[in-house]
Amino acid sequence: MIGYYISLAIRSLRGTPILSALMIAAIAVGVGASMTVLTLNYMMSQNALEHKDKVLYAVQLDSWDPNQAADTANEIPWQLTYPDAVALLRSDIPTRQVAMHRFGFTVNLDESDMRPFTANTRVTTRDFFSLFDVPFEYGGTWNKEADSAAVQSVVLSKETNEKLFGGENSVGKVVQLNGEPFTVVGVLKHWNPSPKIYDLNNNPFADSEELYIPFGLHRKYEIYSWGNTNGWTSSAPEGAEGYERFLLGEHVWIQFWVELDSAEQKEAYEQFLTGYIREQKEQGRFERPLKFALSHPSEWLVLNEVLGNDNRVLGWASLAFLLVCVVNAVALLLAKFLRKAPEAGVRRALGASRNAIFTQHLIESSCIGVLGGLLGIILALAGLTGIRALAMGQVDQIATMNWEMMLAAVGLAIFASILAGLYPAWRISRTNPSVYLKTQ
Amino acid sequence: MLKMHNIRKSYRTDTIETHALRDFSLEVNEGEFVSVTGPSGSGKTTFLNIAGLLETPTGGQYLLDGQEVGNLSDRDRSRLRNEKIGFIFQGFNLIPDLNLFDNIDVPLRYRGFNAKERRRRIEKSLEQVGLSARAKHLPAQLSGGQQQRVAIARALAGEPRFLLADEPTGNLDSLMARQVMELLEFINEWGTTIVMVTHDPDLARRAQRNIQIVDGQVSDLRQSIAQPEIASA
Ligand SMILES: Nc1ncnc2c1ncn2[C@@H]1O[C@H](COP(=O)(O)OP(=O)(O)OP(=O)(O)O)[C@@H](O)[C@H]1O
Ligand SMILES: [Mg+2]
Repeated sequence: MIGYYISLAIRSLRGTPILSALMIAAIAVGVGASMTVLTLNYMMSQNALEHKDKVLYAVQLDSWDPNQAADTANEIPWQLTYPDAVALLRSDIPTRQVAMHRFGFTVNLDESDMRPFTANTRVTTRDFFSLFDVPFEYGGTWNKEADSAAVQSVVLSKETNEKLFGGENSVGKVVQLNGEPFTVVGVLKHWNPSPKIYDLNNNPFADSEELYIPFGLHRKYEIYSWGNTNGWTSSAPEGAEGYERFLLGEHVWIQFWVELDSAEQKEAYEQFLTGYIREQKEQGRFERPLKFALSHPSEWLVLNEVLGNDNRVLGWASLAFLLVCVVNAVALLLAKFLRKAPEAGVRRALGASRNAIFTQHLIESSCIGVLGGLLGIILALAGLTGIRALAMGQVDQIATMNWEMMLAAVGLAIFASILAGLYPAWRISRTNPSVYLKTQ
Repeated sequence: MLKMHNIRKSYRTDTIETHALRDFSLEVNEGEFVSVTGPSGSGKTTFLNIAGLLETPTGGQYLLDGQEVGNLSDRDRSRLRNEKIGFIFQGFNLIPDLNLFDNIDVPLRYRGFNAKERRRRIEKSLEQVGLSARAKHLPAQLSGGQQQRVAIARALAGEPRFLLADEPTGNLDSLMARQVMELLEFINEWGTTIVMVTHDPDLARRAQRNIQIVDGQVSDLRQSIAQPEIASA
């Protein structure tokens, strides 16, 4: 019977092409607009670490200006100073911990005529890969000692390895970073979470780094940050000059994450942080009230306003727009169905039940929904392409539709059109057939 | 076949209540051909609609084939209508954007027959009304008389035992009217019970029994009782 209804629906739609086109367009425009916005919102609020959300924490310490709170959502600086990061790394409470920041190297190969290129680099402790579940294709992370001593090891992203070594196992090979030899210890599989949850301070939708080097190299190469570096005072420990003055100063530029697998661990770590801040206060630092924060990835996304209020409002506005489109479709459908009421009357006389008439008309509006949904996907894809063009590469990863979102779009369209068809179909199925069977 | 006892039907609009049928009683036997006449607005169509389960009476008792149909659900009423009753209207009421084949297909679809059985019945009933060659035509491409024959074919395709016709010849000239009447008589001879509303006294007289409805009631009580000797003739 469904097949019969669908063939009737198609016949009916073809019978009134302009009206049908209008209804399909109404649904498509509504679905297209809301799917564009919802896709952006959905992609923005992805949590790549959902499965570890309960055990991971971004660490914040309030080492900021005694006269003025830090300008962040929770009034604690997003990042840590280098000395604090190094001090926290000494704790053996966390199962894993990562201190890191963004940097860049010029890369080339010995005896190769490949042009040197600049590569986004992450300077990090070795636990980065295991803490954030970064998969390796070849090799693995560097030794523990490289987190504090200058060991010239490097992990390549899959894409960098393809660029440099054509994708083969390059573990043990040497690449030149700023003219210095680094030994490849690992090659990653493709890994590019978006939003880039481990580093929301520098464009959360940028690609992941191309290189990863150990945290112990700062002094040897005088590594500054390529990410945000914020300070409130230029004071530094006595006698520190040049790079040392930067490294030991009060600017925040190191991102810090820990994995705490149990409640006891977390409590112990909180005590450790409290103790550390107290100790620093005695030495004249941390002059603000004692404050630190441990945020789960999901909380970190909210705190950093990756999905801003504007996006949320836009999301609701787009759904309201869809509702307007649905209401329009209801009016058009009602007009169309009532015009066809005599036919429904005949069908009733010939043995169709109210349910049969209702189903027939609901299927007709669902067909409009499917067509509107498909067209809506095309409109949403066009909208997202437009957004990508406007944002010039800043949002490539989020302004794309995956299969789930496309299915959601068709689902939304069918839902919208069933919603739109419900009342007209009900009306037509309730009307007394005899009224329409009178002499024509 | 049909037994109505004290059927009432009233229509209520905001201010006025119209009594379309009042204490309406009638019996029709299996195989009868009954014609119904009466002034305009007397309740003839209302009677047919109730008989055909398109409308529910406000009160009274209606037995179709011995079955009390007053309390049936819409689904059951629709099934009975589909299986036992055929309708023919003055306005033909063919579905304009379906060809003849698909028009006749409609009741068979609701009956749930498979494609082969539907095709067999459609072809057979088109043949009965002499329109086999026109299966792919749209209703608008036929004359009024031909359209009414298609409507009859559609009503017959499900092989109903009971055919209800509301002024089937009202829109036709006298020649075509006679053709349609002959077709109905032929159908009746093959056993189908027919109740036909008509304004034409000549046609009314050709039926085995004529009842007259005046003011929502059968005017002569003797008419409302089926006459066995005629029914079995
Ligand atoms: N849906 C309705 N709502 C209100 N009143 C109605 C409705 N249908 C019929 N009536 C009234 O019921 C009465 C009987 O109507 P019905 O259609 O049965 O008459 P009829 O005998 O078929 O007349 P005609 O010969 O003109 O077709 C009329 O007074 C009519 O106005
Ligand atoms: Mg009438």
